[in-house]
Amino acid sequence: MTASAPAPKLRWAYMDHWRIDTPQGQLSQYTSVKRFDVFLKQVSSLGFEAIETFDFHLGPLRELFGSLENARAFMQERGIDRVLSLFHAVMYDERQSAPHVRSTHDHIFNYAQHIMRSSVGLGVENFIVMPAGLYYDVEPVTDDKLRACAELWNRVGKMTLEYGVKTCCHHEFFCGIRSAEQLRKFYEWTDPRYVFFYCDTAQHVIAGVDPVDLYLKLQDRCGGFHMKDTKHVDLTGDYRRKPDAEVMAPTTPRWFHEMGTPGGLVDFPALMQAMKECGYEGWVGVEHDKADVEGGNYPETTALSAWYIQHVLKKIYA
Amino acid sequence: MIKWAYGVNQWKAGFTSFARLEEIERAFKVTAACGFDAVELNAGSGRWDPIGRPENIAINYGSAAHFRLKLKDLGIHHVSSTFFDPTLMSFEELHFGLMSTQPADHARIVAQARIHAQMLAELGGTLLVVRPFPSFWKEGALNAERLAAAADCWNQVAAMAAPLGLKVALHVDALSALRSVDEFEQLLQLCDREQVGLAIDTAELTIAGHDVVALYRRFHDRVLHFHFKDALAVDTLDEYKLPNAERALIAAGGEREIARWFGEMGTGLVDFPALLAAMREHGYAGWIVVESDKGPEPIATGMMLNSWYRQNVLDLPAR
Repeated sequence: MTASAPAPKLRWAYMDHWRIDTPQGQLSQYTSVKRFDVFLKQVSSLGFEAIETFDFHLGPLRELFGSLENARAFMQERGIDRVLSLFHAVMYDERQSAPHVRSTHDHIFNYAQHIMRSSVGLGVENFIVMPAGLYYDVEPVTDDKLRACAELWNRVGKMTLEYGVKTCCHHEFFCGIRSAEQLRKFYEWTDPRYVFFYCDTAQHVIAGVDPVDLYLKLQDRCGGFHMKDTKHVDLTGDYRRKPDAEVMAPTTPRWFHEMGTPGGLVDFPALMQAMKECGYEGWVGVEHDKADVEGGNYPETTALSAWYIQHVLKKIYA
Repeated sequence: MIKWAYGVNQWKAGFTSFARLEEIERAFKVTAACGFDAVELNAGSGRWDPIGRPENIAINYGSAAHFRLKLKDLGIHHVSSTFFDPTLMSFEELHFGLMSTQPADHARIVAQARIHAQMLAELGGTLLVVRPFPSFWKEGALNAERLAAAADCWNQVAAMAAPLGLKVALHVDALSALRSVDEFEQLLQLCDREQVGLAIDTAELTIAGHDVVALYRRFHDRVLHFHFKDALAVDTLDEYKLPNAERALIAAGGEREIARWFGEMGTGLVDFPALLAAMREHGYAGWIVVESDKGPEPIATGMMLNSWYRQNVLDLPAR
């Protein structure tokens, strides 16, 4: 009898922002079964076992495959087990959908419930939200606004658990809840049974928050990760820039890079060590948003991240 | 035992590409991430090709030994082979292409091959893969004299390479002056059985109209090497005879305007499972170099799709 290797404690997922160059110009891979097939094979070839995507892709998936069950079966044939997470794409607007405005909560809650009802079949485990609007819409960030956000996500989180899905908060650097103190209050005022923390490494670094320290503080509530790197801390207040600090900030054409990029500021080895010491088990997501800015491309960025996982991170914790 | 490697040829599209060391590092990381821990190098020319020549490796990495350590650091543990095409111009050797069919060119071909063979041996490689004939449009149909001249050339190269621990693999491509199975037969009879064998490039030979499984079965005891890539079309109009066929047929697509001749494994005409079954049946023990050459950008896409096919189709138990 031979001893079998212990099962890995971590499984890797890929948060999907891809676009593909086609004869019709740059397109999403959700535009045809063939393009989706090629996308899945590429991600699978590198050892990723799930994808994370946006909730606005539910419709195209249903149209391409007839049902989400069919879509998942197609994915599994190519080595991708599930859509692990849906990123809830809310266009926050004080008139109808702003977490810090209580009068809009019913609308946000109902929309989230609609997404839960319509996503059954993909194996979704996480519902990822930006828990407050854009910073310039929320400021001044008061305790009452933070409490309003907490009330909303407590309510949404309790509902999504009825579908077996965790509501996870993901703090973009331009989000109304971004500083260490705002994060502390928000998680203190949300119910740990219903509201989880999603650690986006680059976004926290840009906002001047140490993601390792934050993970250690919130590890009991950590629902997952978006691992990506950045070369910049926002020192000039880009987080307040209108209309879109992420893609239009004049100081920084490209905020995000793959793990292992030279000059990257995220200390991934320290984070892996922290995850190991805290006994984190389960999925870890890798995210590449805007990888094609300045001539980059999604496949190469993804392969470089996979190299970093295989040759650096797995030696620390796997 | 079959060993897998990946070609580096697809990364170098021109002077400016694949010239910076960080690009080379990224290329090897992508290769390793796709599950390939060995590579086939490409004999290059020019200071803008940092890994194409020994003097460039010395400038950029200090020595072949240091380059080998760098490769290991990136997850590339073996250099399987180097591809050398004497018909391409060389800035260093100062020629616009040498012809194996011309005895007057032999000494220069051997001298140039020696430079790459020595570097390959220092890197731990075992095979010098060569383009044995010029294109048909330059050479015309072979006759016994030119075929014998070429065989003599590669026997000389093999004699040079043998003390370095290398064998020579003849890589016949879609435009080659050598066309027929009978010519393969004659060539192999004239070449040193111990030191010179065939490299079967699945796509090139399919485009040229060969059945690569049948070809392998016929010459299996002389096959030393494989290049695996798929062929998306066959040159049914014999357009390999066109002047400048490298451009007119391969780059421009010929009369049918074929957009892409080469594809990722599993997307075209080559029956890879059948070929691999034949290779296992005959106990093939050597390298398979997967290639993405002339694939569209981004290059990582072709490598990742070939990786998927290898993991999910070819690495499965034999059918």
